[in-house]
Amino acid sequence: MLSVLSYGRLVARAVLGGLSQTDGRDYSLITASYGYGKDFRKGILKKGMCYGDDACFIARHRTADVLGVADGVGGWRDYGVDPSQFSATLMRTCERLVKEGRFTPSYPVGILTSGYYELLQNKVPLLGSSTACIVVLDRRSHRLHTCNLGDSGFLVVRGGEVVHRSDEQQHYFNTPFQLSIAPPGAEGVVLSDSPEAADSSSFDVQLGDIILTATDGLFDNMPDYMILQELKKLKTTNYDSILQTAQSIAKQAHDLAYDPNYMSPFAQFACDNGLNVRGGKPDDITVLLSIVAEYTD
Amino acid sequence: MLTLLSMFYYICLRRRSRSGTRGEALTSRRAVESGQRAVLPVSVEVEQYAKEVLDFSSHYGSENSMSYTMWNLAGVPNVYPSSGDFTQTAVFRAYGTWWEQCASAPPPFRRTPKGFYSQDYIELGFEEPVYPTTVEVLETYYPGAIVQILACSHNPFSQNPPTDVRWEVLWSGEPTKVLTPQARQFSPNIKHISFPTNLLRLEVNSSLLDYYTELDAVILRGVKERPMLALYKMPVIDISDLSDSEEELSDLGGPFRQGGDGKHQRTGNGYFDKLPYELIQLILSHLTLPDLCRLAQSCKLLHQHCCDPLQYTQLSLQPYWARLSDASLGHLQSRCTLLQRLNLSWTGNRSALTLTGFSSFMKACGLSLVCLELSCCHFLNDACLEVISQTCPELQELNLSSCDRLHPQAFTHISKLTRLRRLVLYRTKIEQTAILSILTFCIELRHLNLGSCVRIEDYDVVASMLAARCRSLCSVDLWRCRNLTDRGLAELVSGCRMLEELDLGWCPTLQSSTGCFQHLARSLPRLRKLFLTANRTVCDSDIEELAASCPSLQHLDILGTRLVSAASLKKLLQSCPRLLLLDVSFCSQIDMRVVQELCGLFPNVAIKKSFTQ
Repeated sequence: MLSVLSYGRLVARAVLGGLSQTDGRDYSLITASYGYGKDFRKGILKKGMCYGDDACFIARHRTADVLGVADGVGGWRDYGVDPSQFSATLMRTCERLVKEGRFTPSYPVGILTSGYYELLQNKVPLLGSSTACIVVLDRRSHRLHTCNLGDSGFLVVRGGEVVHRSDEQQHYFNTPFQLSIAPPGAEGVVLSDSPEAADSSSFDVQLGDIILTATDGLFDNMPDYMILQELKKLKTTNYDSILQTAQSIAKQAHDLAYDPNYMSPFAQFACDNGLNVRGGKPDDITVLLSIVAEYTD
Repeated sequence: MLTLLSMFYYICLRRRSRSGTRGEALTSRRAVESGQRAVLPVSVEVEQYAKEVLDFSSHYGSENSMSYTMWNLAGVPNVYPSSGDFTQTAVFRAYGTWWEQCASAPPPFRRTPKGFYSQDYIELGFEEPVYPTTVEVLETYYPGAIVQILACSHNPFSQNPPTDVRWEVLWSGEPTKVLTPQARQFSPNIKHISFPTNLLRLEVNSSLLDYYTELDAVILRGVKERPMLALYKMPVIDISDLSDSEEELSDLGGPFRQGGDGKHQRTGNGYFDKLPYELIQLILSHLTLPDLCRLAQSCKLLHQHCCDPLQYTQLSLQPYWARLSDASLGHLQSRCTLLQRLNLSWTGNRSALTLTGFSSFMKACGLSLVCLELSCCHFLNDACLEVISQTCPELQELNLSSCDRLHPQAFTHISKLTRLRRLVLYRTKIEQTAILSILTFCIELRHLNLGSCVRIEDYDVVASMLAARCRSLCSVDLWRCRNLTDRGLAELVSGCRMLEELDLGWCPTLQSSTGCFQHLARSLPRLRKLFLTANRTVCDSDIEELAASCPSLQHLDILGTRLVSAASLKKLLQSCPRLLLLDVSFCSQIDMRVVQELCGLFPNVAIKKSFTQ
């Protein structure tokens, strides 16, 4: 009799303890980045995570893990402006905002707004524009908060299927929404979207969810099924295997981009709109691959 | 007997701790063991970065930003050991002597003690109170500005109200100018103090520097347990410290103690009786305030002289901010009936001054008061400003710079001071209705500073009101006024024809294409100072118009524009022979070669070109 009760108590305690533990434990993102600049520069860590005109950041704070990608608009090169300066400075500024805790995890648009504002506070007269996508994991609540301005974006993969994805924001063909700082006088001519125009979403994530954040260099060259195929090879949650998978995804996209006969998603979209083209789309490729895991110090 | 000290360093634990919202506190522990004849306890040294910036007098950046603002001094360094003009550093509002040369600058107060150089300050809180052994300041641009480091006995993060707050000077020195603008680690020898501290204060003076000084981080190293004297050199006991800390300003001008027997009525003052009254007064006018107060206690004659209200027509209590209290004000009250200029800047914080003490002093001395400096006086509230408006009818100058804890409604009382000529509201929370009300009634305003007043909603309306009411306006500082447009500026320059100084730095909504800068130049022939800092639209036509219309120009700042060429700058330098300061930092067309060429042609002009590499 007594032993049944004591066993019962032990079991109850274990179950309750187990339940509260899994609910109470913080999550975190284990993230690896890789990419290719368009002019055949490999994924060199120049100025901290820049691939061509793309830039990205990975940052952590007490309460959240934050990722960001920004795709610098290449058209500025024709006007003598280095397109990578804007995206790189934007991402570094957002990283600093996160590290200093000047953000709310549930409102990633705030990070973009503050980051853009800080760009205007720089003595250096910055010019240029870029897209931006920010992904925030709230460690305690296990919710992923995202915002996306332009044609970069993210996928969330669970059990081999895409359960969430971002939408592209385009004004017209190959002209995504973008944050920009224009030269004086050109404000009416240069596209400049407000950070508030970004799409936001929030949803719960589970342990083992894979989050792929990337610029359009990836999504325009690799359809979902190919990406999912690569992700199936990801078996463990350690950093090295995540990095390996990110590298293989980026490399495959890079190879496909220069294949003239391949029907890339970009070419498919063009055909659907009446343009008869084939082949990949050479572009800067940035891939941030994350897995939701339990938080450890 | 020689004592051998052997010291062993152990690195017990090196752990990164995640604490605080800004940056991380790096803790490293080294066990210091010393052996003497007797065994001494092991004391552990703790190294910390600042946890939080608690208070400061000014900064270059915008409120709510992390670019060039004082909050960057907390946490780990972001730039050091690189040198350059970076956004991630802490930068003060001014440098050099340019601001002192302006008409808007008040004349210095008499009796400023020779060792007091401080112009700006910043207070930092650290996580753990320690007995400091080293303070390191990482300066990343134009170093040399730090003139004092102080430590406070009060723990700023404790919930208890401050009682018995003591400030000790850890180090003090003269302002210096280091030959190169490169980064350096500043770590002076500091005094050892008898209480643990986690609140440091840095005071700076940038007057010798060629450009803005920039600070990246502050490291405090100290021990948790009170160090035994044997471990350190015997601290040099400063005689003046012993008498100062207890008696001095807490007892400023204490009641004269009658010494000796009162029976003798002879006026035995020796040769002093032969000197004319005015001559003794002249001699005394050279003494600093503490000396004057001490001298008052020496004999009846000197007491009479030292308490003569004519010695107190100007009173600067700013150098004594650490020790000023209600009691000090109370003791000085009786002498200050003819007070004309009063400097209480930086005083009274952490409950040192209260409404009672302040209002009693103002009631006694306000009648003839003409100038009142209350920069960074956080004890001020609505009631204090009301007292000022009631007791100082003749007030012409009022400085409330960085009184950022004053509620917006407190400023409405200022409109009663109709004789105001100089009003400084830099970094205050004044709102639209209050400023409009002030401008309606204070029509004699000559100098107005609304820099970084972020609560004012529509600067065009303010400019319009200035043009309508304040016709004698000579200088106006609209630094970082976020929505002044060409309409407001046009009204301002049309109405205030006497304007000589105009600071429009970081005003993003002014567009050169509207012609507003050219109109400004044509309307203000007496213009001496114009700051168009970070207005990216300034172009050659604006510079050429300035050259044509403003021959008296002395200070010009056009930082950060891509549109100005060397040719138009040459024209400007030729046409404005009185030009002393030209800031062309981050102007893309003006590289170092151009700057050197212009410096050669115009050696009297300080041409500033900042860098970020």
